[in-house]
Amino acid sequence: MTPSPQERPYGGSEAERARATLSLGILVLRWATVAWTAVLAAATLSELRHPAVAWVVVAAEAAWTAWLTAARPAWSSPVLAADLALAVVLLALAGYANEPGRLAAGDRPVFSTAYPVVAALTWGACRGVRGGLAAGATLGLALLAARVLNGAGPEELRTAQALGLASGAVNFLLAGFGVGLLARLLDRSAAQLRVALDESVRARERAARLAERESLARQIHDSVLQSLAMVHKRGRELAAAEQVPGSELVGLAELAAGQERALRMLVLRPPGQPPQGRAALRDALEELAAATPGLRVTVSAVGPLWLPGGHVAELRAAVRQALDNVAGHAGTGAASVFAEQDGAEVVVSVRDDGAGFAYDEAALAAAGKMGLLWSVKGRVEQLGGTMRVDSTPGRGTEVELRVPVPGEVADRG
Amino acid sequence: MAEAGGVRVMIVDDHPVWRDGVRADLQAAGGVTVVAEAADGGDAIQRARETMPDLILMDLNLPTVSGTEAIRRIVEESPHVKVLVLSASAAEADVLEAIKVGASGYLLKNSTAEELAAAVRRVHGGEPVFSSSLAALVLGEFRRMSRAGPSNEPGLTARETEVLRLVAKGYTYREIAERLVISVKTVQNHVQNILTKLQLHKRYELMRYAIQRGLDRAPE
Repeated sequence: MTPSPQERPYGGSEAERARATLSLGILVLRWATVAWTAVLAAATLSELRHPAVAWVVVAAEAAWTAWLTAARPAWSSPVLAADLALAVVLLALAGYANEPGRLAAGDRPVFSTAYPVVAALTWGACRGVRGGLAAGATLGLALLAARVLNGAGPEELRTAQALGLASGAVNFLLAGFGVGLLARLLDRSAAQLRVALDESVRARERAARLAERESLARQIHDSVLQSLAMVHKRGRELAAAEQVPGSELVGLAELAAGQERALRMLVLRPPGQPPQGRAALRDALEELAAATPGLRVTVSAVGPLWLPGGHVAELRAAVRQALDNVAGHAGTGAASVFAEQDGAEVVVSVRDDGAGFAYDEAALAAAGKMGLLWSVKGRVEQLGGTMRVDSTPGRGTEVELRVPVPGEVADRG
Repeated sequence: MAEAGGVRVMIVDDHPVWRDGVRADLQAAGGVTVVAEAADGGDAIQRARETMPDLILMDLNLPTVSGTEAIRRIVEESPHVKVLVLSASAAEADVLEAIKVGASGYLLKNSTAEELAAAVRRVHGGEPVFSSSLAALVLGEFRRMSRAGPSNEPGLTARETEVLRLVAKGYTYREIAERLVISVKTVQNHVQNILTKLQLHKRYELMRYAIQRGLDRAPE
């Protein structure tokens, strides 16, 4: 069974929630670094070669972060690329804005190195360890560009100060790597959660199926197993007997046939949901057919035919009497029962291909031969219905009962 | 030994004991040669291809490929093959589906040996074998379709509904012919037309489904 739509996204939404928290955290960090950049820019303004550039940097960071906050865009490749490009430009601008050689001195914090770290974090969060490392490496190169813009010559870069540069780059790499690792862990635990939840859903379904099987087994146990045991035991007894009366064998066969019908009804048809106060005429007729000894009764019904409980009971009794009539007078071993809804009426027909007779109510009544048919007719008329008998000597008999049904008859399966 | 000639039959059932019983019944009745047996749906498709039987006696609850799917594929490959479903425990929906995909008849496994032999003869002769309960099922199916709303697809004519109802009541084709004062052949034609409409409806249904899902367009 497939899990319902409500159950399916457990693990997925768990991972999404964790990622949303991480993304929100990074956004908060963005604002903090914007503020920190502004503070540093203000504090070191007097030492700057191009103070206006510092304010452009702060404004650019604030504008980009404001847009990210307001639009909350998906971290698609273009957005990620724009974020990284901005960070690279900001880093490079720091070299341009500061007095020459200021970056190499390394004794005072440089105003624009904080914000680019966030870009490395974002790449790590969205593109995993590799994305984080790639962004970190790019920012490391941008740091190198900043040094060059700050007036550092190739010789200077070859000296021990290269170590200082490297440590700056390592910070970016670590930031990207760390968050990338975190994102991977989040995904992995969400996947584990999903597996665990799926397993628990499956276990619940298994338990429900087992319960259903058990209740079915209980229903089957009494009648079917008992009958099988009976057939088994009697079969052996009869095999050992010198002479086997045919009636004994027929009895066994009927026992098996009855159970076969009962089992088929139980297993093959999904139980319907009866409308309030109604019962399925089809089920009642099939049960009746299984319980009619000496007559092979085939029931064909168009749909379950949900009727008021009283109607089902009366129609069942009427059909039973009609079948008794077949068994008693038709001289045949088989009968067919057909039921369907015809407009606002339910039609039930009981048919046999037996002896048949000349149907003339007045003559039959005078001769006192109406017998069971009268009571069938009486029951049907009490329900406001009619009985029609169609019979010809030698051509079998069809008794058709038509009964109006209050409300709609649900013949849907 | 079975006599040579007669209707070439393949028996498909996953219970060997049952296959043996059916084979013995058919051979006792005569006029039938069992040319192949298969124990599952995939095997049935393969054996049908190899032996080209005239008629297949098919259980529906089969391992590997389901009986219904096997019928669909066998009839698609060789439309002349007649399929008679012989099932002990098929759900109503499965029986209806088997008829829709091309089976010509349905018998319960509790039918007698004579009934089985007669059904084999009738199906081989091109006559659909409708049990009364199957007729009621089909009647219900056409009602369901007409309730689903007006469509361009063929519904049953008044005469076809009448014939189907009489089959559901347990009348034989001969009895129906007498009652309606038509020939037995005409009754058979009506029943065949009902079957064809049911199968046609299935095809429309598949087509509509394909169009809805855009399956009729070539992949981009």
